[in-house]
Amino acid sequence: MWVCTGCSCLCDDVEIEGNNVKHACRIGAGIILNRSVARAEPLIEGRKTDMDSAIEKAVEILKDSKGVAIYGLNNSTLEAQRIAIKLAKKLSAYVDNGSKFEKLAEMILNKEIPSTTLENVKDYAYVIFYWGCDVHNSMPRHMSRYTYYPRGKKRQRGYEEDRFLVVVDVRRSHTAMLAKKNAVFIKTDDDRKLVREFVTALEGGIASGDVLRVVKELKKSDFNVIFGGEGLIKGLGNEFEEFVKLVNSVGYFIPADYRTNSMGFFKSIFEAGISKANFEDLLIDETIDTAIIVGDDPLNSMPFEIAKRLVKLKLIVIDPKVSFTSKIADVVIPSAISGVECGGKMLRSDFVEVELKPVFKSEWDDVEILKSILEGL
Amino acid sequence: MPSPMDIYKLLPKTNCKLCGEQTCMSFAFKLIRKEKKLEDCKPLFSPEFEEQRKKIEEMLKVVEKATETGLVVNEDLCIGCGNCVVVCPVHVYEDPEGAGSGFGVRLDNPILRVENGVVRVVDVGLCRRYKEKTICVACRENCPTSAIAFLEEL
Ligand code: SF4
Ligand code: SF4
Ligand code: SF4
Repeated sequence: MWVCTGCSCLCDDVEIEGNNVKHACRIGAGIILNRSVARAEPLIEGRKTDMDSAIEKAVEILKDSKGVAIYGLNNSTLEAQRIAIKLAKKLSAYVDNGSKFEKLAEMILNKEIPSTTLENVKDYAYVIFYWGCDVHNSMPRHMSRYTYYPRGKKRQRGYEEDRFLVVVDVRRSHTAMLAKKNAVFIKTDDDRKLVREFVTALEGGIASGDVLRVVKELKKSDFNVIFGGEGLIKGLGNEFEEFVKLVNSVGYFIPADYRTNSMGFFKSIFEAGISKANFEDLLIDETIDTAIIVGDDPLNSMPFEIAKRLVKLKLIVIDPKVSFTSKIADVVIPSAISGVECGGKMLRSDFVEVELKPVFKSEWDDVEILKSILEGL
Repeated sequence: MPSPMDIYKLLPKTNCKLCGEQTCMSFAFKLIRKEKKLEDCKPLFSPEFEEQRKKIEEMLKVVEKATETGLVVNEDLCIGCGNCVVVCPVHVYEDPEGAGSGFGVRLDNPILRVENGVVRVVDVGLCRRYKEKTICVACRENCPTSAIAFLEEL
């Protein structure tokens, strides 16, 4: 059995037989099937070199830099994230994984908001909220593997009788289309108002029909869960007080951050006592002159107006694959695909630690590369 | 998936009845349900209709892939989420610890299995529509991208 590192579901039931990948979704199967496509090679200023020279050049750049950020790390193992943090401390560098879940992750780790595991959801959850996330596309097996569809210990009668699905979003997403029988889709562009409405209704106050219907269902079970995505965080404007109240009366909250080891990143930085920076702000404010990009492609994913500022930086890219960002990098250091070519641990979206089961072996991985850079300094 | 209307538009539309049907429209319906063969429409094979015939043949390729239960999978629309595999009542009954509990299906010959990221019809022999001739739509109903369709519903 292989553990898929395609998203934070970290599905551990995947079978690989030669060129046939069974049970992984399209994202996961693609990792194995396209493993050898677009592999990065060691480069200095676009010219081919060897690993040692590339690492040496990275060290040289870092020694001369006046402000460094380390960005990415969602596809790196906990072990690699911890070395990256050591490196950040040594360089007084900023760190950011590009996720907006830091506040919620911090609250879960500090037990300020009740959370649970996906196995418990499967066994016990009745009302399941998907709020501001289209998991069908971002974490394709989330609903079939862990939440709405599977049967669990106390949920033997299946989704049609033993679960109630609530999807909240600004648009009718694919996930929302699954809200059919025993389910509601609530369309909203004002999440704060909707949270307040739920809180009021749960206290016996007045609310709209859909909200009252959900509240009636919530009262049937003491195990209900809200999966919240980036849409929720944006909608709440990063203010969670009312939302925490809601979660307390609903039951539990689990982040729906698809980034593979995003929760690992948060746990690692909080344990190390450092806070997350905002890479986009650092670029806008011109706070940094150098960035180490690990397993991410900001030139592709950030808004163009901000992304174009990357060109002005000294860029060190550590990645198994060629990316838009690697094409403009000063140094490219090819790495291993986590979970495929190197092992280690990652945290699932519910903070459960999962041991990876690589099927190939690679000489260089994030851990080795980051360690060598650290030693070079 | 082509609709009967899409096919009808390309037929000779003369209602000549040579195919044994009263109208070209009903022939189009039966073509999609695999109750008639394209060869039954003799005029379509004259040179005059060659281009249209080729278009229909192209459209019918999807229909050809439909299984004996009328279940068709459009792989391009499938993301491999596994909803269909997990909700299938036959899988739940035969494989409660695997598919029924959300894991990859553990039967050697399941009805559906996600392979290389898309669902594949492995053995329709177990499907309720085949065995018991009951109208089960569980798999199709839980696919939000319409990657699964049933011929009779088209
Ligand atoms: S849901 Fe995520 S972890 Fe599971 S197979 Fe798909 S990409 Fe991999
Ligand atoms: S029609 Fe019903 S029995 Fe047949 S594959 Fe779909 S869910 Fe299973
Ligand atoms: S056919 Fe639909 S429900 Fe089945 S795996 Fe593909 S996308 Fe999911």
